[in-house]
Amino acid sequence: MLEINNLHVELEEEDKAILKGVNLSIKAGSVHAIMGPNGSGKSTLAYVLSGKGGYEVTEGSAKLEGVELLDMEPEERAAAGLFLAFQYPVEIPGVGNMTFLRTAVNAQRKARGEEELSAGDFLKVVREKGKALQIGSEMMKRPVNVGFSGGEKKRNEILQMAMLEPKMCILDETDSGLDVDAMKLVSEGVNALRDAGRSFLVITHYQRLLDHIKPDFVHIMANGRIIKTGGPELALEVEQNGYADILTEVA
Amino acid sequence: MAQLQAKQDALSARISGLDLCREGWTASLRADALTRLSAMGLPGKRDEYWRYTDPSSLTAVEAAPAAPFIAADEKMVFSGIDRLRIVFVDGVFDADVSDDLEMAGLEISRLADAADQHWARDVYGVLETQGQTPVQRPLAALNTAFATDGILIRATGQAKMPISLIYLHKSDTSDVILHHCIKVESGAELTILENGPAAARFNSVMEVDVADDGRFHHIRTQGRDHDRRAATHLFGRLGQESSFKSFTLTANGRMTRNEAVIEFTGDDAIAHVAGAAIGDGAFHHDDTVFVTHGAERCESSQVFKKVLKNGAVGVFQGKILVKSNAQKTDGYQISQALLLDGDSQFLAKPELEIYADDVQCSHGSTSGAIDEGALFYLRSRGVPEREAQSLLVLAFLAEALAEIEDEVLAEDVRIGMENWLARHGGA
Amino acid sequence: MTAMPKVETEVREGVDRETVETVEAMAGKYKHGWETEIEMDFAPKGLNEDIVRLISAKNEEPQWMLDWRLAAFARWKEMEEPDWAMLEYPKIDYQDIYYYASPKSMQDKPKSLDDVDPKLLATYKKLGIPLQEQMILAGVEGAGEVPAEGRKVAVDAVFDSVSLGTTFQAELMKAGVIFCSISEAIRTHPELVQKYIGSVVPQSDNFFATLNSAVFSDGSFVYIPPGTRCPMELSTYFRINAENTGQFERTLIVCDKGAYVSYLEGCTAPKRDTNQLHAAVVEIVIMEDAEVKYSTVQNWYPGDEDGVGGIYNFVTKRADCRGDRAKVMWTQVETGSAITWKYPSCILRGDDSQGEFYSIAIANNAQQADTGTKMIHLGKRTKSRIVSKGISAGRAQNTYRGLVSMHPKAKDSRNYTQCDSLLIGDKCGAHTVPYIEVKNNSSRVEHEATTSKVDDDQLFYCRSRGMDEEEAVALVVNGFCKEVLQSLPMEFAMEAQALVAISLEGSVG
Repeated sequence: MLEINNLHVELEEEDKAILKGVNLSIKAGSVHAIMGPNGSGKSTLAYVLSGKGGYEVTEGSAKLEGVELLDMEPEERAAAGLFLAFQYPVEIPGVGNMTFLRTAVNAQRKARGEEELSAGDFLKVVREKGKALQIGSEMMKRPVNVGFSGGEKKRNEILQMAMLEPKMCILDETDSGLDVDAMKLVSEGVNALRDAGRSFLVITHYQRLLDHIKPDFVHIMANGRIIKTGGPELALEVEQNGYADILTEVA
Repeated sequence: MAQLQAKQDALSARISGLDLCREGWTASLRADALTRLSAMGLPGKRDEYWRYTDPSSLTAVEAAPAAPFIAADEKMVFSGIDRLRIVFVDGVFDADVSDDLEMAGLEISRLADAADQHWARDVYGVLETQGQTPVQRPLAALNTAFATDGILIRATGQAKMPISLIYLHKSDTSDVILHHCIKVESGAELTILENGPAAARFNSVMEVDVADDGRFHHIRTQGRDHDRRAATHLFGRLGQESSFKSFTLTANGRMTRNEAVIEFTGDDAIAHVAGAAIGDGAFHHDDTVFVTHGAERCESSQVFKKVLKNGAVGVFQGKILVKSNAQKTDGYQISQALLLDGDSQFLAKPELEIYADDVQCSHGSTSGAIDEGALFYLRSRGVPEREAQSLLVLAFLAEALAEIEDEVLAEDVRIGMENWLARHGGA
Repeated sequence: MTAMPKVETEVREGVDRETVETVEAMAGKYKHGWETEIEMDFAPKGLNEDIVRLISAKNEEPQWMLDWRLAAFARWKEMEEPDWAMLEYPKIDYQDIYYYASPKSMQDKPKSLDDVDPKLLATYKKLGIPLQEQMILAGVEGAGEVPAEGRKVAVDAVFDSVSLGTTFQAELMKAGVIFCSISEAIRTHPELVQKYIGSVVPQSDNFFATLNSAVFSDGSFVYIPPGTRCPMELSTYFRINAENTGQFERTLIVCDKGAYVSYLEGCTAPKRDTNQLHAAVVEIVIMEDAEVKYSTVQNWYPGDEDGVGGIYNFVTKRADCRGDRAKVMWTQVETGSAITWKYPSCILRGDDSQGEFYSIAIANNAQQADTGTKMIHLGKRTKSRIVSKGISAGRAQNTYRGLVSMHPKAKDSRNYTQCDSLLIGDKCGAHTVPYIEVKNNSSRVEHEATTSKVDDDQLFYCRSRGMDEEEAVALVVNGFCKEVLQSLPMEFAMEAQALVAISLEGSVG
């Protein structure tokens, strides 16, 4: 599904290297988790894959189903099936949540040569998918993320994911700012989307999210590289001992 | 002194070719206006009130030519709305394409042929005169003196559909002065729509006297012609518990100065003045608003948004004046500009002048580029850049558009905005 | 600067018990309204070229300085007094003013403060200004940054047209800092003065600045050499004493590369029933990576309850951030003067330079204030912040007037302006006149302003806890001003807080 090969990234403004040769291969239907201390480059990886400005790729490639992602505009990446659930979802005053979602869904359908959803059909699907995430019509009427609580924002991200049906989902610290109930709700939303044709890359600090969203592989990232890869047991090890042991072991 | 002399000389030159109508009920009102005007002269570049807008093209002896813009397959706004149409072609009333000037609850007549003992005596030039202090508005006095046509509407009940003033621009050199008077009697309600490119140069005054409990709605779109120049004045006088709501969309036009001068004379009244301006290239757009609170517990709001690109210039001068008797005033004012490229400019002077203590008044003004974070968020969800920009531009303008109460009319204006954005390469 | 009550805790909270205590301690009307009886040397009343020559001669100035003054005077004669401010006052007769007044005892130019007439020294003692080279007591200081032995503040004391002397000069010299009266600097450091005077506020900048350029008699001069953090706070204390005398001081501060200085300014005058003119100029030059903080507590005599007497205060203050990353912060507490016309400005010329303006302007009784700032963004990534708190009471008129200008080349710059007005009583006025000029799209400008009255619920809450109305108002107003008070150096914050309360006396009931 996703093949990242020797990816090097610098900040455009500061000439500072953030990613120093990331290699990662994600097969269709699998769930990978990335853990690591602050500043290790986890969020940068998510942003670079989705095409955020301000970063310069100096080396390497990232292919989604064999197609180079790094040459594409953000919206092309989305149409190709990549989705990033933001750590800090952006507030857009004046744009209704419903309008936002419909514009996005139809833009992607158009890009893929599919017919746009009619207003009626769209509404039906949103209602149905919103229900599971406890997102009612009131929340859909409000401007995108404006005045949303932390939990509401994250649920809204998952609803977008459910509506857009991407192939490759990146969850950037989706657990941050969530209480136990909200985490459960969000995780159920994610688990409902797991299937053989869809892969996940879950970026998190904590093991607790991985209790809900069970990963197939866990990677430890530090100083711009993936320094260790293992199964779910690696996350437990981090939870118990922190990163220090792994860092010294690798160094 | 030398400055005043120059302004008076400019006035003499400007009016030398104009006829002062000396017959009928407006004759004395026009003569008074000319006296006011002669004392002021025409506005000059050095006037504080014209700090950000050069009045010379509005005051020049001759109007600069402007070709009418033909939008191939685009319908004019309001065309699908049930309305009574009153059409002016290059400033001249055209009975053939207008509807009959009759509707239950309304008295409508043309300024050019209104009978002698007319109700509009108490309105024509009267609100304009009051609006001359504390700030002079010579172009409005010029209008009162030399208007060639206009419409006089008195509402005594609930008008069943809007009155639509449609201005068609046919001649490249049309130089038009129109003066309208509106009287909304106690308990009556009226909606006025105005649209169209009007003329190569357009000077209009609308005086609106709203009696106690009266309700007045005004929705205006000015647009299309790239080179037309316009100076408009909207005067409002509000009685007790009355309401006045005005919205203007301006798209294109080389020079537009829209002044709104609102005075509360009765308690518990509401006035909202709003505007959205979208300009590309040689576009200078000036909203100048002056709201005077002279009564208690009145609410006023000014919401102005401008989207500017390719060197377009947006100006906002807004003032809330609260007199010492106007306790419990609620005054709000916001002016915001979205600059889509580095060549555009936003110049603002949002003022408060307050002499009563028990008031809540606030204003805000912001200027900046499109929100890159929001743009990326939209694109990451698959929305192409141009579409994402348009969406954000419309969202930016939404607060002003929300001032249109009628949803059907608001949707019509919104489509007008979308068409403009589409015509001008997205945002 | 005045004798301060000893308090244990910091005055960091805008509304706290100390405010009330301080207010109580400072009870009484304008407290600096007494006069020093002393023999004066006056130049003849009125203004002409001879007076300009005389002032220059009294200061033993070089020819270039006299020429500069004369050029300014010639220009001034052609200028008209500006009338755009929201101020109403009778026409000033510029020929009915003394342009030079100096205590007779100062004619011999005392070598040091020890030689100055004891009467004059007593004046400053009474005002609470330390002219002995003493430590400010640690007990009145705020945070722990104060060394155990106390903190030093150097003072230049200006009495009518002349500087009496400057404290701590020797110690400052050791650090390479020049701090003296401007008349002395013209004699001792002419190359520095000639290079910088008029370079921020040009000779013919505006009517009042031009008048000042012609007739300024004294003021302070500061030079901080590269990389030097000025070892103590510097201050100038201006006192107008003689009747019918104008004060025209001129201050020039040059902060060289990487240097830092905090400068304080205080002003008082006796009670008189005639108006007196004060037209000052302050110029600040800030080089690369340098920083200047300039704090003013302006407490000129405001006139009586009926608007009789008081100082007409027309001041031009401007800082030029010439180098990259230069920083300036203006803080002003304007409580005095019958008329205030003052717009301390920042020219943000260097890339990444920063300007800040914090202001409290209180107008009570018949006072009128028209004050604000200008932020001129020229360099890239420049930042400015404006926080203005205006309080109107009695029959006073208080106007904030400001300009934020983003030039086309000032890419990626920011401005934030917060401008709040408070009205106490229904006979006063509060006005806001901001000009916002944005000529590039990568900069972000935000302006917010509010006007309201003192919150009844807050007043009631205070009174239900036993405060009388005046105390309650002082408390609430101090809370309203908190953000600005916090930006003042500790000594000034105390004085300013007390002044806020005093200025509002008689505003309720």
